[in-house]
This record gives sequence, structure tokens and C-alpha cells, in this order.
Amino acid sequence: MKKNKQAFTHNKAFWGFVAPCVILFTIFFLVPLILSIVFSFSNYDGWKKMDFVGLKNYIKLFSDGSFYASMGRTFTYTIVTIPFKVIIPLLIALLATSKYVKGKTIMRTVIYIPVLLSSLVAGITINWMFGQEYGLVNFIIKSLGATPLQWALSPKLATFVIGFASNWGSIGFFMIIFIGGINSISADVFEAASIDGANKIQTFFKVTVPMLIPTTFLVVLLSTINLLKEYALVQGVTQGGPGTSTTFIIQYIFDKGFKQNEYGYASAVSTIVMLIFILIAFVQFKASKGGETE
Amino acid sequence: MSKKLRKMEYILPTTLSAFAAFIIIFPIVWLLLSSFKPSTELFAYPLHLFPKNFTLAPYISVIKNGFGVYIGNSFFLAVVGTLITIIISSMCGYALAIYRNEIKYVNLVFGVFLLGTLIPGETLVVPQFSVISALGLYNNIWGVILPVVTTTTGIFLYRQHYFSIPLALVEAARIDGANEWKIFTSVMLPLGSSVTVTLTIFSFMWRWNDYILPLIVLSDQKKYTIQIAIKNYIGNMSVDWNSILAASIISIVPVIILFIVLQKYIVGGAVSSGVKG
Repeated sequence: MKKNKQAFTHNKAFWGFVAPCVILFTIFFLVPLILSIVFSFSNYDGWKKMDFVGLKNYIKLFSDGSFYASMGRTFTYTIVTIPFKVIIPLLIALLATSKYVKGKTIMRTVIYIPVLLSSLVAGITINWMFGQEYGLVNFIIKSLGATPLQWALSPKLATFVIGFASNWGSIGFFMIIFIGGINSISADVFEAASIDGANKIQTFFKVTVPMLIPTTFLVVLLSTINLLKEYALVQGVTQGGPGTSTTFIIQYIFDKGFKQNEYGYASAVSTIVMLIFILIAFVQFKASKGGETE
Repeated sequence: MSKKLRKMEYILPTTLSAFAAFIIIFPIVWLLLSSFKPSTELFAYPLHLFPKNFTLAPYISVIKNGFGVYIGNSFFLAVVGTLITIIISSMCGYALAIYRNEIKYVNLVFGVFLLGTLIPGETLVVPQFSVISALGLYNNIWGVILPVVTTTTGIFLYRQHYFSIPLALVEAARIDGANEWKIFTSVMLPLGSSVTVTLTIFSFMWRWNDYILPLIVLSDQKKYTIQIAIKNYIGNMSVDWNSILAASIISIVPVIILFIVLQKYIVGGAVSSGVKG
């Protein structure tokens, strides 16, 4: 009897404790998730019109050049930027954990600071360096006697500036993750390597790199997700231009929904993008199951 | 190895590190120095590192144009949002850990929250906006706060933390006659203070830097947050760089202060918190 009463109290307490999160999460995440799928089968314009149109949005989407262009641009941007997102923080983390570096704490602190900036302000900060006429980078190029580059007018250079800003804003964060990975490698392993006569370069490639594979995988995964959803940063640099050459998929959804009031179509694009993210999560799940033996 | 040679070993790696740190911090230094230059100096060759005619005019101008209000709004969003996040995530994470052996649905509830890390909020802006409007929260700061206060990261951090606390401690408190709520507020919440500090810093930073939701929800200029105000300076036909530079610097200051004061917690917490959001 007493046990039953206690179970009842605990049941009530449990739901009481989780209620605020469950309710808010349901209203602002689960309901929109379902609505997104519902909207994607309708011609909802965000106002009055909302008729069921079947697969029309999806059929339109798969024959829409601007969707493919935006998706392709996003993938290209992601794939080209990822190596830098991994290599630069890794090299810096190696320095930041090296016993031959003095003042490591201040170095880590300084390198982490750009992470604190909002994506918008990170974009602005880098954009300010790459100004066409009076930017510092072009000033240096000119001083060296070369022709200044048209950072904002060339699609490739504009994408480069965005990628640069994105990298700059995340080096500190991934550095910390790599430092965690490096510190978790047991000192015994390095000692064993040095007893076996391995030099520093051999130790790096034969010990450090293989031991960091799980950490590197995490960094690749987080960067992939962050790059695929790049939006605010772009608003600080090019706002999607020149033309639509830096309009990535989230901005595409945003413009379709809020600028052209095509909520139904925008939701269909959202649903496809969500499926891509779910696929990535699935890969992560599979891979981390495999890596559990380490 | 001689002493001199041993000293030499430090020179190259330390110089490289200092160089890397300098390159990385330089854009912010350049932004800061530029913000004190009058526009005649911003847009005239040759460029100089330090302002020749140091001026505070851009700062005075943005403050005159209502920046004080935007700072206030951003503080409200960040402080209230963080407070709610701490309260509800600690309750939820605690319950998910402490009742793990008694309640059937614990893992199911946690699994549903994990959906939040799987699907980025950015893909849900369109229907989220519909929900916010339907609730009458359009153009209301609460329409920016309530949708984001539930963070899976926060719930996850507290859950992990309370998993490590022996259940016997809860049992002991129960035998002493404390009720479930009392056990949480007076015994367990103080034990979670390390998570509370970490989450406070991150949540403050996230909310201070929030962009997409304030952009679509807040339409009245008086309700803008700092980020939206900055975005508006870019949106204008002629880009007002003086204001952008000063406003950007103002927006950076609070988070840098918070970081420097509490950095030992951040650097430790960054790894465990994983994804931003």
C-alpha cells in the first residue's frame, strides 16, 4: 500500500518536473515539425489561402532549377570548407597542447574570442577586412603592387570570404574539442613511441593522428551541420549576392516563405532539408556505435 | 642537452602560437580601431592602423538613434531567457536522471528531446512563425524567448550530472521526510551548480546572439534586439559603416566581459555542450 502511494507521488513529481520543457518543446518544436509536413502538401500563403494540393510542391521542387542551384551551392560550399574547419583547429590545438609553447592559457583565450561573436557580427568583421575599395586586404594587395580583388562582385571570391569568416568564427570552438581529444590520449602511448625510437614526425602521424580519429569525426560532423545551415553569417557578408550566388538553402527557404509568401513550397523544401539532416544523424549514430569499442 | 639549446626549443613553437593568436584576433582589433575613425578616414587611402583623428562620434550617434533601447531588449531576452532555461532544464534533466528506475517513459521523453538536436531549428522557421503568430506573440519579445528556452543541450547536461549523483542521497532525504520538490530545490539544485554556471554562460551568449527568430518575430523598431538593429544598418541603401562598426563593437563587449570573468568554466564546458543551440 505504502509502495503504491510512493509510486503515485513519484509519477506525479516526475511529470511535474518535466512538464515545462515538454509543453514548450511540444508547442514550439513538435507542432511546427508536424505543421511543416502538413504545409508542404498545401498551397498555404501564410495568410488565408490553404488548400490541399497533394504532391504538387514536391513535383515543382524537383523540377525547379533554383532549388537545385541553391542545394548544389550549399553542398559545394560545405565540402570545400570542411577540410579547413578540421586542419586549422587541429594544428592550433597541437600548438596549444605542446610542452614547448609558453603562455598557452592566454593563447587559447585569445583564439577562442571570435567564437563569442554572433554569426552576423563575425560576418561583418571579416567583410570589413575584405572591403572592395577601402578594405585592409585590398590595401595590402595594392601596396604590394598587385591588382586588388573584387571580393563582393565575383561569386567565387564572395563565397571565399564567407568560408573564411565561417572558419574564423569556429577555430576556437573546434580547437577546444581537439585539445580535449589530445589530452585524452594517454601519456604512456607517447612514452612507448619514444622508447621505440619514433621521432616527432613519426609520433604525430603514427600515434596522434590515428588516436584523434573519433575527435576528428565529431568535428567533421559538427562542421557539416553548421555549414549546411549557414545563414546569419552570410547576412553579414553578402546577403546572398552577388545575384543569388551565395544564397544557401536556409536563406532559400526563408526567402520563399517570408519574401514570396510561398509557405507551402518553402515547407516542402524544409522537409527535404530535414531529411538530409536526419540522414546525417543516422550516419553519426551508425558510426558512433562502431566507434564504441575504442 | 645544454641549457641554451633547451631554450631554443621553445622559440619556434611559441612564436608560431603567438603568430596564430595574433592573426586570429587581428580582425577584431582592426574593427575596434576602425570604429574610432571618422568616415573621412575610413574611406581614404592610405589606411592607417591607428585613428589619426580619434572620434567617439559613431558611438554617440548609434546611442542617439535608439541603441540604448536595443541593448535593453537584448539584455531582457538574454537574462530572462537564460533564467527560464536554467529553471526548466534543471527540473527536466534532474527528473530524467533521478526517476530513471521508477518511471517507464523516462527514455521515451528523453528520446523526444533528442529530436531537437537532430533537426536544426533553422529548417522550422516558417511553421514556427505560424505558431508564434497564432499564439498572439508576433512583435512580442516573448515570441522570441519562449520558442528557444528548451534546449536539449541544457537538459542533457543536467541529466548527465544527476546521473553521477547516488540515488541513495535522494532516498536519505525522503526518509528525513522531505517531499520531492523540496529535495530538488534544497539538496539537488545546489549540487548542480557547476552545470548551472556553464549553461548560464552559454545560454546568455546564444540569446544575446540570436538572429533568425528576432528577425522574423519583431517588426516594431522599438522592440529590436542589437543583432536586428545591426542588420538594419546593412539593409539600408547606403551602408552606414560608421554605425555598423560602433554597433558591432557594442554588441561584442558584454559577451567578452562575461567570457573573461568566467572563462575557466567555458573552456571546460565547451566540449561537453557540443552543438550550439
